[in-house]
Amino acid sequence: MQLTKFNYDNKIVRDFGIATIVWGIVGMSVGLLVAVQLVWPFMNFEFQYTTFGRVRPLHTNAVIFAFVGNAIFMGVYYSLQRLLKARMFSDFLSKVHFWGWQLIILAAAITLPLGLTTSHEYAELEWPIDIGITVIWVVFGINMFGTIVKRRERHMYVAIWFYIATFVTVAVLHIVNSVQLPISLWKSYYLYAGVQDALVQWWYGHNAVAFFLTTPYLGMMYYFLPKMAGRPVYSYKLSILHFWSLIFIYIWAGPHHLLYTSLPGWVQSLGVVFSIMLIAPSWGGMINGLLTLRGAWDKVRTDPTLKFMVVALTAYGMATFEGPMLSLKQVNAIAHFTDWIVAHVHVGALGWNGFMTFAILYWLVPRIYKTELYSTKLASVHFWIGTLGILFYAIPMYWAAVVQGLMWKEFTPEGVLKYPNFLATTLQIIPMHMMRAVGGALYLAGAILMTYNLVKTMRKGKLVANEPSEAPELVPLVVNERSRHRRLERKPALFLVLALITILIGGIVQMMPTFLISSNVPTIASVKPYTALELQGRDLYIREGCVGCHSQTVRPFRSETARYGDYSKAGEFVYDHPFLWGSKRTGPDLHRIGMKYPNKWHFDHMLDPTITSPGSIMPPYPWLIDQGLDTTGTKAKLNAMRILGVPYTDEEVNGANADLMRQAEGIAADLKAQGVDVRADREIVAMIAYLQRLGTDIKAHEGPIMGNQ
Amino acid sequence: MFKQLTDLSGNEWYLIASLWIFLIFFIVVGLRLFWMRKDHVDYMKDMPLQDEEERS
Repeated sequence: MQLTKFNYDNKIVRDFGIATIVWGIVGMSVGLLVAVQLVWPFMNFEFQYTTFGRVRPLHTNAVIFAFVGNAIFMGVYYSLQRLLKARMFSDFLSKVHFWGWQLIILAAAITLPLGLTTSHEYAELEWPIDIGITVIWVVFGINMFGTIVKRRERHMYVAIWFYIATFVTVAVLHIVNSVQLPISLWKSYYLYAGVQDALVQWWYGHNAVAFFLTTPYLGMMYYFLPKMAGRPVYSYKLSILHFWSLIFIYIWAGPHHLLYTSLPGWVQSLGVVFSIMLIAPSWGGMINGLLTLRGAWDKVRTDPTLKFMVVALTAYGMATFEGPMLSLKQVNAIAHFTDWIVAHVHVGALGWNGFMTFAILYWLVPRIYKTELYSTKLASVHFWIGTLGILFYAIPMYWAAVVQGLMWKEFTPEGVLKYPNFLATTLQIIPMHMMRAVGGALYLAGAILMTYNLVKTMRKGKLVANEPSEAPELVPLVVNERSRHRRLERKPALFLVLALITILIGGIVQMMPTFLISSNVPTIASVKPYTALELQGRDLYIREGCVGCHSQTVRPFRSETARYGDYSKAGEFVYDHPFLWGSKRTGPDLHRIGMKYPNKWHFDHMLDPTITSPGSIMPPYPWLIDQGLDTTGTKAKLNAMRILGVPYTDEEVNGANADLMRQAEGIAADLKAQGVDVRADREIVAMIAYLQRLGTDIKAHEGPIMGNQ
Repeated sequence: MFKQLTDLSGNEWYLIASLWIFLIFFIVVGLRLFWMRKDHVDYMKDMPLQDEEERS
């Protein structure tokens, strides 16, 4: 058979590899900074752009989309070409993809510290960047499918199925969760509100973990692990079952992030059931990976890449067992909002994603530079420092979670909360947070060591930018293949459609009734839209990232209603574009904070939290007192809200700023009476107005409120 | 533990229908795998190692 000569593009693989390393160091360093700020808040240098609420999303975005994202593209571009025996479809598209993605990361690194955020976790970037992500993702898709079309290998290996599922699902998730109404270039409101917004966000959030942090890495595992071990995957049949079950089940599990909230009960139950079922395919994949090493375990002793892979798979197994357990309502009642979730996420991120990325880098860089790794010993040292880092990170956080979770729920024999001051539970876990920072520092030190090792390796060798290869061209198939799945493996378009249908089923079943059946989100007559000043204050709350530390949903537990007040109802959030329920309580829940304290308390608290709460680890916000409130967009904001269904009248929209100033002057006068001289047009006044409004409408309601209304 | 899966206040059909969808899906995939030819399985699982073999 005639062989065709062609070249693999290693330069793009190298570029994504370098970006992985650079952004990895940046993302981890920012993570260390925010970890330290939870012990010493002054480590924000009293600078608004480096404050926890703004920098924490920078850390998550940098690690997820910059470090892991670039690692995915590095792994995909390397393995796809070789599995299909073809160079990438277009070198130009590869370059557009690379530079476009780096530009998006840069835009995130600039806008997030500026407080330009949508507040949706892991989807914080504002609408112009969302459009950029869509364009670059499509470029990636065209390049990937173009390569598949011009392939010289008839059947697509399991790794490629995972890449296809990643592409199509991330596209769906990103589009659905980015439906926003722009107010200005850097401000928008989500189309959905309250319960519906929460459902969409956690459908996205959970499946971003599934289809950005998991499926592409499973694809890379199925390619790189056999290469590293020198053995084929343990069971190809299991990999097929793993793939279809995983993508089918994962999409249903999002509501487990919203247990005991005002989300309809049936959606919560669906989330629980499918989360538990998720153990089966997840462990199927892990076992398939670990058993691939059968007969090659001796190599694990000496080969650092395999060491990293073994820990990565073990961390995957731990995290995918832990996730379903945390989805059980009884466990979730204690663990949710605590550091357990942070530990859970980091076992996955540091162990599964981080370690597999390191393994692939150590394996891949010497190969594309046609040389040996500079130092195997240094790689082993990295492995042990990294493993210690994960342990130092996770164990104290589990410990902190148990301590805080139990303290929140403890009552005295007299029937009152034993720790009514939330701060007492925060101060108790500060030593654990210090240990966590040590764990993070160790992990970062390991990554720096790897960088040194890989730079030396690159200098030792020379990049083979165009690696020659040869393969016969595909000839038309004349025999009909008996197995349907075998036929499917050579039909990428059909594969894409089937994968799309598979992931859409879960989303449709959960979302359509919640959106279309009005009884799922009942309204409460006494709940009114925010005033213009309160809406501006809400946007400041979003800008400062308060949602990163404070939840706004009181769950129906005695321990929570005794601490915060009446549990939260779905009807209270119908005007919340976006919802701000949060996912972590570093500080107390704020849904019933309105009118709990006088205006001056809030002023003092924002000026310096230790005035009202000695020992508080919340950073001060003096710039809210200095900075004037930007009221140029008030009318546009109310108008946008009205388009989204919030019942503002013409008078309210047209007289927005006049109403705003009237309310602001009232608050300023009250503060003045308390000895605080602050101008009514300062940001702090809007923030106080918003906080004082929170959770108060329900108190004006007459008669019983039914169900989760 | 199981109470939260069975006590759904009249909305259990969502859960039951969803589980049926998955069960049917799972059985169909399982049967396809059962009927898959061994030579094809062996060919596919060796795919990542092919370029190494070709080089050696």
